[in-house]
Amino acid sequence: MTGASPLEAAEAASSPPHAAGAVPRMRVRGIRKTFGSNQALRGVDLDLWPGECLGLVGDNAAGKSTFTKILAGTYIADEGTIEIDGERVEYSGPAEARERGIEMVYQDLALCDTIDVAGNLFLGRELRRGPFLDKGAMQQGAREMLAHLEIRIPNVTAKVAQLSGGQRQSIAIARSASFNPRVLILDEPTSALAVAEVEAVLALIRRLKAKGVAVVLITHRLQDLFRVCDRIAVMYEGTKVAERSIQETSLEDIVRLIVGEGHRS
Amino acid sequence: MTAYTERQQGSKLSDFLQTHAHVLSIAAFLLGCCLFFGAINPVFFSTGNLLNLLRQASPTLIVAVAMTFVITTGGIDLSVGSIIALVNAAAALLLRAGWDWWVVSPMMLALGAGIGVFQGYFIAYQKIPAFIVTLAGLSAIRGVALVLTGGFSILIPPSLFLSIGRGTVFGIPNPAILGILVAIAGYIVLNTMVYGRRVCAVGANAEAARRVGMPAQRVICSVYVWSGVLSALAALVVAARLGSGSSNAAVGTELDVIAAVVLGGTSLAGGRGTIVGTVLGALTISVISNGLILAHIDAFFTQIVTGAIILTAIWLNTRIFDHVGSVRRR
Repeated sequence: MTGASPLEAAEAASSPPHAAGAVPRMRVRGIRKTFGSNQALRGVDLDLWPGECLGLVGDNAAGKSTFTKILAGTYIADEGTIEIDGERVEYSGPAEARERGIEMVYQDLALCDTIDVAGNLFLGRELRRGPFLDKGAMQQGAREMLAHLEIRIPNVTAKVAQLSGGQRQSIAIARSASFNPRVLILDEPTSALAVAEVEAVLALIRRLKAKGVAVVLITHRLQDLFRVCDRIAVMYEGTKVAERSIQETSLEDIVRLIVGEGHRS
Repeated sequence: MTAYTERQQGSKLSDFLQTHAHVLSIAAFLLGCCLFFGAINPVFFSTGNLLNLLRQASPTLIVAVAMTFVITTGGIDLSVGSIIALVNAAAALLLRAGWDWWVVSPMMLALGAGIGVFQGYFIAYQKIPAFIVTLAGLSAIRGVALVLTGGFSILIPPSLFLSIGRGTVFGIPNPAILGILVAIAGYIVLNTMVYGRRVCAVGANAEAARRVGMPAQRVICSVYVWSGVLSALAALVVAARLGSGSSNAAVGTELDVIAAVVLGGTSLAGGRGTIVGTVLGALTISVISNGLILAHIDAFFTQIVTGAIILTAIWLNTRIFDHVGSVRRR
């Protein structure tokens, strides 16, 4: 640490690149969530800006996944507010968040094993002719989606259960990135991916940033953060302990913040 | 120099065999049963017997189509036999009291739907396991039927109603036609409609379905409504065929129905259902009971043989054919 308290550093980091008076894509304040006696989140504030990638790091059980699931509407916060483009929202479930363009790649991928690749890519937004599925159009769309992201899955009618871990992860990423998201949350998207595929995901994040998407990336591969992120937020025991602009931090600094030395001293 | 080659795609035929291994195996088993019973007693293949077989298979088939949806969501409905008994008894009482059959029939379907909503509410929204809710239903619903009838069989006065169970169109019994129509409708809904996709998705991964915005709880509740409605339809068929209603109708039907669905290759774990398999499964159950009677096997042994054959068939289906078309399972 360089003298400034984590709080001051956080405030300094969240304001600079954006003009005064600008409205963040997503602004969350005071998010609290308790599971039984376990305080998963103890008041988390965060702003997400269009065209920016925020890295979210922290030790296991720091609350990263819980926090992002609240952003995506999968969990409902006990307390706290969420604003999208300055408008206060209260969602009752993930469907509403998805309607507002908030997409998430879940750590468990949230795929249906017994449904084919095309069906999983269009899960929840099936192409239809009346009440019927338009399977041909979905297969065609799936091929285009996968080609666009340079994902090689030869047969879009294969069941997802037949695919490898990396292919499954690629499908989850393609599903969330292909429908013009406004906020994209990636929870450990590269854990099962090979070298080339990790590069493809990082390239995808850069492309989405250029299109003005607000991206949140959770990963344990800290070197990736420094390649695509603009800011890094560090969580510890259900709170956000630090926020750093990428220019003013280093791998060592982040590691120290994650394990908790930064704020104890 | 290093040569990069692409992996070959498997042949279309082996893909086909793999995808449809369960359905093909039950089809082969059904064919085997038919040939076996036909060899023992040639009467088996007579037109009269085959039509009779279809008529007998109809109530099981109608309920099994709905049960396929229930099991595809990863649930189970043990109360179908009791719903048949209740609707059967209630319909007979109303018809005997002079109500018109075209008023009574829709009312009975609505009664089945009401029972389905009630059970589905507890399963989907109150998160009580389907096994428990419908086990309670199995007991309580037949209890209501017993209270209504006092345990007696109620005679249905002759009317057009009886033709639902006894009439024929172009020589084909009406119950068989109803069963075929229900099966075709079930096939279309499960395989080509958005609702069918939702049923599969909820069964494969209910949380994933919820996260992508599907109304997962409503879908789960709805399959029990269908199971109630189609049980009621089966009850009308049974009542019309026998010309009477009884609280003792359809004892153990739930087991025949579940056996038919599982024989057909629908996964009890949910996510994978096949109506074609269910049709073949329901026919197999009927062929076995019909064939054993024609083979002059003592009625008391029939149950033992039926149980043994079902276990064998499912064992073949899950162990051997899974290895033939071995799909990587996670």
